[in-house]
Amino acid sequence: MDGAEIVRQPAWMRQSSPPEQDRKPWRARPGLMILGAVVFLGAIYLLPMLTLIGWAFRDPKGGITIAQATRLVSEGAYHTAFITTFRTAIITTLVCALLGYPLAYLMATTSPRARTLLIAGVIIPFWTSVLARSLAWIILLGKRGIINEWLLASGLVNAPLTFLFNSLGVQIGMVHVLLPFMVLPIWAVLMRLDQALPSAARSLGASPARAFIHVVLPLSLPGLVAGCVLVFMLAIGFYITPALLGGDRDITIASLIEMMVRDLLDWPFAAMLSLSLMVSVGAVFAFGALLIGVERLTGAEGRT
Amino acid sequence: MPATTPITRRKVLRGGAASSLAALGPFFHVQKARADKGEIVVASWGGSRTSAMREVMFKPFEAATGVRVRDDGPPEAAKVKAQADSGNITWDILDTDIPAILTMVKNNLLLPIDYAKLDKGKLDKIPKVLHHEYGLGHLIYGFNIVYNSKTFPTGQHPQSWTQVWDGDKFKGGRSFPFRGGISPQLEVALIADGVPIDNVYPLDIERAWKAMDRLRPLVTKWYANHAEAIQLLSRGEVDICCTVGPRGIVAKREGAPVDVEYSGGKLAPDNWALVKGGKNPDAAYEFLNFVIDGKVQAEFAKRVPYGPSSSDAFNYLSELEAKDLITSPDNLKKQFWNDITWWGAVGPDGKTNIEAQTERYAKWMVQKS
Repeated sequence: MDGAEIVRQPAWMRQSSPPEQDRKPWRARPGLMILGAVVFLGAIYLLPMLTLIGWAFRDPKGGITIAQATRLVSEGAYHTAFITTFRTAIITTLVCALLGYPLAYLMATTSPRARTLLIAGVIIPFWTSVLARSLAWIILLGKRGIINEWLLASGLVNAPLTFLFNSLGVQIGMVHVLLPFMVLPIWAVLMRLDQALPSAARSLGASPARAFIHVVLPLSLPGLVAGCVLVFMLAIGFYITPALLGGDRDITIASLIEMMVRDLLDWPFAAMLSLSLMVSVGAVFAFGALLIGVERLTGAEGRT
Repeated sequence: MPATTPITRRKVLRGGAASSLAALGPFFHVQKARADKGEIVVASWGGSRTSAMREVMFKPFEAATGVRVRDDGPPEAAKVKAQADSGNITWDILDTDIPAILTMVKNNLLLPIDYAKLDKGKLDKIPKVLHHEYGLGHLIYGFNIVYNSKTFPTGQHPQSWTQVWDGDKFKGGRSFPFRGGISPQLEVALIADGVPIDNVYPLDIERAWKAMDRLRPLVTKWYANHAEAIQLLSRGEVDICCTVGPRGIVAKREGAPVDVEYSGGKLAPDNWALVKGGKNPDAAYEFLNFVIDGKVQAEFAKRVPYGPSSSDAFNYLSELEAKDLITSPDNLKKQFWNDITWWGAVGPDGKTNIEAQTERYAKWMVQKS
C-alpha cells in the first residue's frame, strides 16, 4: 500500500506548512483517485478472485475442503498437463525472443519507409482472429497443404512432412500469434535508445558485435524482459491454438479447465486448476523478481 | 393475401391461428387463440439450424397461437446455470443433447416434462427411448463412420467399426473426438472389438479402453469440435472420422468429397427441454405440441438433413429425400441408441458414468502419451 502513505504525508505536511499547499494543491487528490481504482479493482478483480477461491475450497455443505487440491496433487495426468503447459509456454517465449529481437532491431534501425512496412507486417495479423490464423496454418502446412504439395511436386520429399497435430504445429501457431507482443516492447525501447552510445563504442574501437553486446543489448534488456513476460503470460493460458494444431501430447491446463467448466460443470475443480496455474505463474514471477528485480521484470525500468 | 383489403397484424394472427387450429384441431391444448400471449425464448445452436427452425417452426407457431418466439443460444449448461445463479432466467425451452440435460438435471436447472400435456397421437410416433423425463427427442444425430470418398470410393470404404480399427487394410489417418463427443466413444470401441450392436450395454469399460488403446496410434487428430472434423476430412488431412453423420451429409450436399456409413452408428437425440423458472410454461407446452408434429419435422429435415424423431415424418418425405437421413427406416436398423440410463447411472463415488468416463478420457489422453 505505497499509495496510502503518499496520500497521508502531504495531508500532514499541509497543516504544518501552508506554502507547500499553495505550491502543490493537487497532491490531496490522488487519495480520491486511488479510492476509485481500489473500488474498481475490488469489484471486477478481487471479488471474482475470492469467488474462485471459494469454489475451489468449499464443499457442497458449506464447509471447507481440500478434496479438489488432493485430486490435483494425486493425479499424474494433471501433472503431465502442467508440464506440457509450461514447456509449451517456455519454448514459445524463447522462440519469440529469438525471432522478435532481430525483427525489432531491424525495425528500429531501418529507413522510415521500410519501418512503416515492417510495423504493418507485425500489426496487421494482430487484427485477425486467433481461430482464423490457426486454420490458415492447416491450409499452409497440412498433409495436403500448400507447402507439402510444393515439396512433393519439386521432388524434395517423397511423402508429405508432418508439421501439424503435434508440438511443432502448436509452437508454429503460438509463435505466430504471440510474436507482436514480443516485438513491440523491444522496438519501443530500441527506438528510445540514444544512437550516440553505440557510435561512441565504435569510435572507441569496439567491433560492431562488441558494441551490440556491451551497449545495445543491456540497454534494451527491459524491453526484452517485458516482451518475455507478456508472451509467457499469454502462452500459459492459450487453448485454441493447441486444441486446433496440437496432438494428444499437447493438452494444456487451459483445455482441461474448459472441459471442466463446459462439459462436466465441475466448477470447483476448474477453479482449483485455475488457481494452481495462477499460483505457479506467480511463483515464476516471484522467483524472477528476486533474481533481477521487480522494475526490470515488469519493464518499468525502461520507462524512467 | 391480397393487399387491397386493409389487414391488421391482429387479423393476420387471428386468421392464421384459426386456420391452423382448424387443421390441427383436437390435438391442441389451447382454448382460444389470442392476439398476444406473450413470448417464449427458444435457445438453440444458431446457423442454418436456427434459420430452418424460424421458418418451419417459430413463424408458423406464432401465426397459429399468437405466442411470440424469440431465439437465443447457444443452449449450454453453463449458460443456464449462470442464468439460474443470477436469478434472471430468460430462456423457456432448450434444444440440446442428453449429456447437457443430465448435467443440468443434476444442477436442478430443468423441469420434468409432463407427458400428459403432450399430444398422444404425435408422441406415439416418436420412439419410447426418446421420451426422457427431462427431454423429448426431436432431431436425431449419431456418431457414424464418416469418410473421405476420394480416398475410399463408396463401396471400398470401411463398412464397420472393426474396419475403422484395422489400420493395415484401411490406410489413412483417423480423427476421433477429444471434446465435442456426447460421451467417450466406448460403444464403438466395443463394437470394433466384436460386441454386437444390440448387446453393447452395460458397457464392459475395461475392454472398451483396451480397444481405445489399439485405436490410438491410428488417430492423426483428436478433434475439438465437429465442424473441425468435417473440415479436416474434406481437405484430406484425415480419411476416416468418427463424427456426426448428418454433418457429413451436409458436407456431401455442398460438394465435399465426404460420405457416411451408418452401420454401427450410435444414435442420439437433440431434445426439447424446459428450463426451470421459465416465464411462460403453458406456451412452452403449446410450442412442443406444435413442433413434434411429423409434418413439421419433415419440413425441417428437407432444410437441414438431421433425422426426424417422428416416424410419421417419413410419410411426408420422398424416397430420395429420406435415403441419406439417419433415421430413415433402412438406416435406423443398422444403428443403436445411446443408452442414457447407463451413462447417467451414478457410481459409488457419486459420479455418473459419463462424468467418470469423460474425466478418464481426458486423463487417458494426457497420460498415455
